[in-house]
Amino acid sequence: MRERKKSSAVEVSSVKKKKEKKTKDNNEPREQKEKEESQSIMKQQKNTTSRSKKEKQRKATEDYQSLRESELSGDEVHGTDHDVDNADDHHEEDQTDGSEGHRGVEESDSSEDEVAPRNTIGDVPLEWYKDEKHIGYDISGKKITKKERQDKLASFLANVDDSKSWRKIYDEYNDEEVELTKEEIRLVQRLLKGKAPHTDFDQYADYVDWFKYDDALHPLSNAPEPKRRFIPSKWESKKVVQYVRAIRKGLIKFDEPKEEEPKFYLLWGDDSSAAEKANHLAYIPAPKPKLPGHEESYNPSLEYIPTQEELNSYQLMYEEDRPKFIPRRFTSLRSVPAYENAVKDSFERCMDLYLCPRVRKKRVNIDPETLKPKLPSRKDLKPYPVACYLEYKGHKGAVVSISTEASGQWFASGSTDGTVRIWEVESGRCLRVLEIGEAIQYVAWNPLPELPVLAVSAGQDVLILNTGLGNEEEQRRVKDLLHVETPTAPDVLDLGLVEDHLLKNLLLALMFTLDGVFGRMASQGRLPLHVFHPTRSIFFVSTKKNIRVYDLLKQRLIKKLETGLKEVSSIAIHPAGDNLIVGSREGKLCWFDMDLSSKPYRVLKCHPKDITNVAFHRSYPLFASCSDDCTAYVFHGMVYSDLNQNPLIVPLEILRGHTSSNGRGVMDCKFHPRQPWLFTAGADSVIRLYCH
Amino acid sequence: MDMNIETPEDQNEENSRRVQVRFKTKLKPPQKVPSNSIAIPSNLTRFGLSSVVNNLLQAVNPEWKSEPFDFLINGELVRMSLEQFLLAKGISAEKVLEIEYIKAVAPQKEEEPSLHDDWVSAVDGSNPGFILTGCYDNLGRVWKAGGVCTHILEGHCGAVSSVNIIKSDGLKYVTVATASKDQTLRLWKVCSGSWDCTISLWRTNDSDAAGNQVSIKKRKGNNQVEEPQLEGEAISTLVGHTQCVSSVVWPQQETIYSASWDHSVRTWDVEMGKDLSDIFCGKALNCIDIGGEGSALIAAGGSDPILRIWDPRKPGTSAPVFQFSSHNSWISACKWHNKSWFHLISASYDGKVMLWDLRTAWPLSVIDSHKDKVLCADWWRGDSVISGGVDSKLCVSSGVSIQ
Repeated sequence: MRERKKSSAVEVSSVKKKKEKKTKDNNEPREQKEKEESQSIMKQQKNTTSRSKKEKQRKATEDYQSLRESELSGDEVHGTDHDVDNADDHHEEDQTDGSEGHRGVEESDSSEDEVAPRNTIGDVPLEWYKDEKHIGYDISGKKITKKERQDKLASFLANVDDSKSWRKIYDEYNDEEVELTKEEIRLVQRLLKGKAPHTDFDQYADYVDWFKYDDALHPLSNAPEPKRRFIPSKWESKKVVQYVRAIRKGLIKFDEPKEEEPKFYLLWGDDSSAAEKANHLAYIPAPKPKLPGHEESYNPSLEYIPTQEELNSYQLMYEEDRPKFIPRRFTSLRSVPAYENAVKDSFERCMDLYLCPRVRKKRVNIDPETLKPKLPSRKDLKPYPVACYLEYKGHKGAVVSISTEASGQWFASGSTDGTVRIWEVESGRCLRVLEIGEAIQYVAWNPLPELPVLAVSAGQDVLILNTGLGNEEEQRRVKDLLHVETPTAPDVLDLGLVEDHLLKNLLLALMFTLDGVFGRMASQGRLPLHVFHPTRSIFFVSTKKNIRVYDLLKQRLIKKLETGLKEVSSIAIHPAGDNLIVGSREGKLCWFDMDLSSKPYRVLKCHPKDITNVAFHRSYPLFASCSDDCTAYVFHGMVYSDLNQNPLIVPLEILRGHTSSNGRGVMDCKFHPRQPWLFTAGADSVIRLYCH
Repeated sequence: MDMNIETPEDQNEENSRRVQVRFKTKLKPPQKVPSNSIAIPSNLTRFGLSSVVNNLLQAVNPEWKSEPFDFLINGELVRMSLEQFLLAKGISAEKVLEIEYIKAVAPQKEEEPSLHDDWVSAVDGSNPGFILTGCYDNLGRVWKAGGVCTHILEGHCGAVSSVNIIKSDGLKYVTVATASKDQTLRLWKVCSGSWDCTISLWRTNDSDAAGNQVSIKKRKGNNQVEEPQLEGEAISTLVGHTQCVSSVVWPQQETIYSASWDHSVRTWDVEMGKDLSDIFCGKALNCIDIGGEGSALIAAGGSDPILRIWDPRKPGTSAPVFQFSSHNSWISACKWHNKSWFHLISASYDGKVMLWDLRTAWPLSVIDSHKDKVLCADWWRGDSVISGGVDSKLCVSSGVSIQ
């Protein structure tokens, strides 16, 4: 132990000496000196066998310092006293030659490896040997036995007695006590203060410029600049490409710039700016004008030219939706005409410049389908006439009027060819042809089945005809009736004497009601139309535009229905009596609910031409209108017995098939009394039966 | 044993797919083919199949004259190419397909029409010896085969609307019933429907059993009867229809079927005078006939182009079991074949008489001999179709072979 202390002291002192003799000798070859120094250092390190870790570190730095110093200080570090050192070293070397000397020479000069501890347990925790008697093994494999522990009191007393006890450190690893020398203590203290371990080491020594040459103004090399300085780096560009690819592939993602949201707002500030916005017109940025394209060319290619269909569809558009510019083709720019709207456009532009007020148009965007009233499906309203299966041909002129017999087995038709024909419904056979000789205006069958009589109006006359149907008893009764009624003419009742048309109609109507014969007369002229209420003694007469309702018993006007039509052409009354339909010459159909008001409940504008006749079905909720446009419309007209519920009107079917003749289409329509079938009489001399 | 038969289609399309079939039949030996399975192209239609069978028959019997056949697969007539048929019915083409063939039902020849003076309104062919027709010229006529009018029955003062032959015992004494639009029934009548919504039962003065009474159809406004030979009151009146009764049949002793313009078909119990069942149709009905399987199917046609067939034995439904809709206009008459379960004819205002088989939805044949509305049609002698129409002709199409 003493040896080791001595060696450390030697080391320190040798360094000191080296410093002192720095400047003396610089002639010796450098290599040799270095070798010598390293050797000396190795020797020193060999000697320092037991140190704490901290001390080892310190020593390492010290060695490093010394090395560096030796390098920096150059050749003159070691002076003439080298021999003394050497002598010292050699002396020591001789002493330690036996066991460790050869090892120290062979090992590398790393300061860590040169620590050769006595204990060879390796880098294992010392606790493992806590309960053992030995603490490890020495190099020859013998156990290093632990020293017997002094008991605490004794050691304390020893410490108190020994004035040097504070310099003693217990080395657990090698199980020995180490006493630090004064120099070592000083060294430790300097290190603790953060200073260089050696007192004579100057950290801030002056820089010594070892290389001095005369031509310092000139560059070191006169070689021209190499080419690589001027061309872009290949590797850089490769790297850039690599990055670009990675970015494209999405392997490299950039942080999206965060949107800076204002965290705070002016809570108590005045909101005059907001009020300003509200009070003034909203800012509408002017639309950017579209740049002229191919279609504005004077000779655009064909795909830009709108077809005739498209041009027609433009006509159906709203004025403002229509395209402003319609491309046209011209063979040359010469043939392009002057702009037709030039004056108008400049006027508009002037208006713009004068800041003429502009109206902001508010257009409501509504699906037109939703505006339609919700109607029940046609399928649910069956049966109604759909298709024509039977045609009754035989008349030579326009069929003006038809009337069905109450049972629905026969019907009669009157035509402008002066004949009345009686048909069998089922087979389409014409049973009888009655020649009247004058154009027929109206035919009506007696609603009572036991009296098969037919009323016919032709010219100035109303004829009551015996159809010849029914059995003999019925025939006899009919003959009796007609005989009693008309003493002068056996089969014909002449009313030609009555001049006043209204009176004539009234008279006729009254007479027919009294006789149980439901009659009506209509004509092409200005004759007023009329119907009777089916149950009460009420009578409807139409003037040109309005309908007057008379009570026959009290003989006064009850009501006046304002149709709002130009000219009434036909009326029909619902079998329940509270509803009335009125057809007009302009193709409008009015439905009057007598309980509601004197105005029409519904006005249906369906026919493009005059409505010639309207009809109700006796039992089914159907009504029909026929018109000069050769069609008949069938509607569902449900009247509820519940007074709170308004009648339901649903258009069902347009029946086509007649052809126009002399501008007239369908002249009359009548429902079959029992089936949902419709007879239509056409101006083309055909009667059609539409079945469900 | 497989053998390939050369047919016209076959030569055209060598590469078409083939099906293994075996023909079987209920026909008698000269028309029977050997029951081997053969491979035939799958694109054959009825015509192709028919020529295959004829070729087979010729192979057996060289003097065989080819003859049209009709083909049944699983009880359904083949009306498209075999491949399409198998696909539509989901029948596997892997197995050997059994095809039954029958003689094709189609009129072979059209006989000379018998001209009347006016529209032919009614026809009856239930007697194999003669045809009875009613006409709008108030006359009934009796025709022999070959268009010879043997008798003219005068007496009505209105158009004859319905005729019927009443079979007596032993065929010596044939009586004829006619109904007219003058609201009378002449000669024998048993059951009549009328425009006053009632059905009347009349007793014949002949002492025949009620079993040979035959139903009759009639249109009239009143059930009062004036009759030269027999005056009588109806023994019972069946009330229930709300509109005119257009057609009645009395196929069995105790039940009467009636069709009416009030859209219903009713079944009546004769003894009780009550209606047993009511089938609602939705259309006004013109004609009704009972026949088919077990004489229980009701065929009726009306004011639309659809011939409907109901099976009243099916519980809980009044939906028609068959609907044939090839006509274009009202159906005026329908008649079942009295022997076959499957065949019936219908006459329509579109001027066509169609021959139907229940086993296919297409008409077997369309007889288009009339130029205007056909008003009546009936079978005659089991192999002819007779029809009368607005063109005043009585047309006979004979040679309809129904086995």
